[in-house]
Amino acid sequence: MAANDRGATDIAIVGFAQSQSVRDAAPSEVQLLVPVVADAITAAGIERSDIGFTCAGSCDYLTGGPFAFVSNLEAAGAWPPISESHVEADGAWAMYEAWMRLQEGDIDVALAFGSGKSSPSNPAEVWAQQLDPYYLAPLGVDPVSLAGIQAQALIDAGKATERDFATVVADSRRNAKSNPNAQLSGDYDVDALLAEPYYRRPLRKHDVPPISDAAVAVIMARGDKARELCERPAWIRGMDHRIEAHQPGLRDITSSASTTLAARKAGYDGGPLDVVELSSTFSPQEIILKNAIGLGAGVNVNPSGGPLAANPIMAVGLIRIVEAASRIIDGTANRALAHATSGPLLQQNLVCLLEGE
Amino acid sequence: MRTSHERGIAEVTITVESTIKFPYKRSLGPVIGPFMTALAEQRFIAIRSGSRVICPPLEWDPETAAELPRDFVDVGPAGTVCTWSWVSRPTEQHPLDRPFAFALIKLDGADTALTHVVDVESIDQMSTGMRVAPRWRAERLGHITDVEAFVPGEEAITVNGGVPGEPVTMMSYDASITYKIPVSDNTIKAHEATAQGRLVGLKCPVCERIYARDRGFCPIDTVELTDDHEVELPQRGVVTSYTIITPVQYPGQTETEPFSRVMVLIDEIDVVMMYQPLVDVPVEDVRIGMRVAVVWASEAEKADAGRPGNLVGWMPTGEPDNTDPSLANRIM
Repeated sequence: MAANDRGATDIAIVGFAQSQSVRDAAPSEVQLLVPVVADAITAAGIERSDIGFTCAGSCDYLTGGPFAFVSNLEAAGAWPPISESHVEADGAWAMYEAWMRLQEGDIDVALAFGSGKSSPSNPAEVWAQQLDPYYLAPLGVDPVSLAGIQAQALIDAGKATERDFATVVADSRRNAKSNPNAQLSGDYDVDALLAEPYYRRPLRKHDVPPISDAAVAVIMARGDKARELCERPAWIRGMDHRIEAHQPGLRDITSSASTTLAARKAGYDGGPLDVVELSSTFSPQEIILKNAIGLGAGVNVNPSGGPLAANPIMAVGLIRIVEAASRIIDGTANRALAHATSGPLLQQNLVCLLEGE
Repeated sequence: MRTSHERGIAEVTITVESTIKFPYKRSLGPVIGPFMTALAEQRFIAIRSGSRVICPPLEWDPETAAELPRDFVDVGPAGTVCTWSWVSRPTEQHPLDRPFAFALIKLDGADTALTHVVDVESIDQMSTGMRVAPRWRAERLGHITDVEAFVPGEEAITVNGGVPGEPVTMMSYDASITYKIPVSDNTIKAHEATAQGRLVGLKCPVCERIYARDRGFCPIDTVELTDDHEVELPQRGVVTSYTIITPVQYPGQTETEPFSRVMVLIDEIDVVMMYQPLVDVPVEDVRIGMRVAVVWASEAEKADAGRPGNLVGWMPTGEPDNTDPSLANRIM
């Protein structure tokens, strides 16, 4: 049975907070989280003691601290003892677990957060370690090279051009001008972007996301509690995540079958969407994801600027959900779709469908 | 409902660099093992999965997760580039030290592509659909990098070829990541205090618990702690628990003889300092209730750049032991 058929429609986002994304934050990961979690709690109008379940998403490899995720929990104030969990994944998956937990029906409020500091290490070095240790990691395959392989495949398949990639970048940076938490923003001319040198042909540096540090937190509540806390809750109509084979050579990397399936299972029926936030880490992936979900030309994609404007790994997916939810809560949107991704070249994808009343 | 988080975030000024190494030894199993064995013999094998021939081979059908019969087929050695990306400035993690392409290569006879590198002199020689063949290393270990690179053409470049060796069952892979960890203002202040022979902490304004000087916040009340919260700590205390460590000579371990680490409950206040070294106490004499006082580095020791800090450890005061049995519960 699909997740959206089992009463899950009764859970909403009622408060959230995020930090700015910066290139090189001096505070530790937990220090980034402390004010963000506190602000999300304030935004939801609850006490910390109201939270029935907490779930965090982060990756210890980023800062190289053994059990760094245990320290992160201190931002939640884990005394007296609390009920909590952690996923070694983006905060969007932490939110998924907390949303599942709320469906048990015995608690009314849950906290989920995601945090990541990519600045202490070199992402090219760290993310080579998430790859298959037999066939891929020993080759030192870095995420940007993989993204270049995907971009070239997209061009060879006739599904996109380098101009399309540059257009995604120009749109992202223009949209990010109104996002105070973004790192890269401004007005860029597509022809000028295309005149830039290649970084990993066919990708240029601007097709690749910035290195970012940030944290994000979200408060969810059930039914009447959500209505009590929030004038216009962002109701979670469905959430689903799907995964594909790990090896890039085993799948069609010019499409994303797992995104298509996750969107359908989350309840997206092809109807109109006021806002879409996609974890399109590299510019060609926005084209792949739009096709996979079945989005038309007129859809407002990544009004926040998306990952090309700020890419705090382990928070970036949950930030997509928060950006979508914020527009429902403030009344500027009524139906929104948010996407998060994990693994090399969109291996795993999560889709969250949100609606106002 | 919505708070915009407007606090600015300070940028890093001082960092400490450290490299973490992961020296893995992996068993290869019944499918990857034969593939790696074939590499050592300058051959490629694939596995049948339904109507597809999968290379590199997997133990399970990627569509259904069903275990695959060990039905191996020879593929390659030449193949076709399906897609590629040009690395114009290779780094240390890359297999070649000159510009090259990462590529997905479909070996002849296979239905799926292998990820590897293509060595050509210039990007102008790269194209999707180009034909490539492996250039084998002279010294092969049964490792994916036994293929040094693929090169344009139909003919494999073989070296000392063709002699079947022992089956390859294990592989070594030394992963390494270098970190530049920011040093916080509180850590700098903690270090400065110890240089002055002072033991200081930070007191939470809400719960009044006292923490180590380098901590940035109270984890109970999630309140930020700054210079305003600094308090002077007594330099004497009592051992509440301990461990005797017998060093195993893993990479990076510099100790050779068993040594102790103790938990010290500081006098008058409710602070436990964890994993502290004891100075001049044989491991058989370490005990709960032992009264200890701080030992600071001498001027000569401070001048030794190899020393980690100014707090050398703790030394017995000679006072009678504290015999309170509940002490053992105070490990943090």
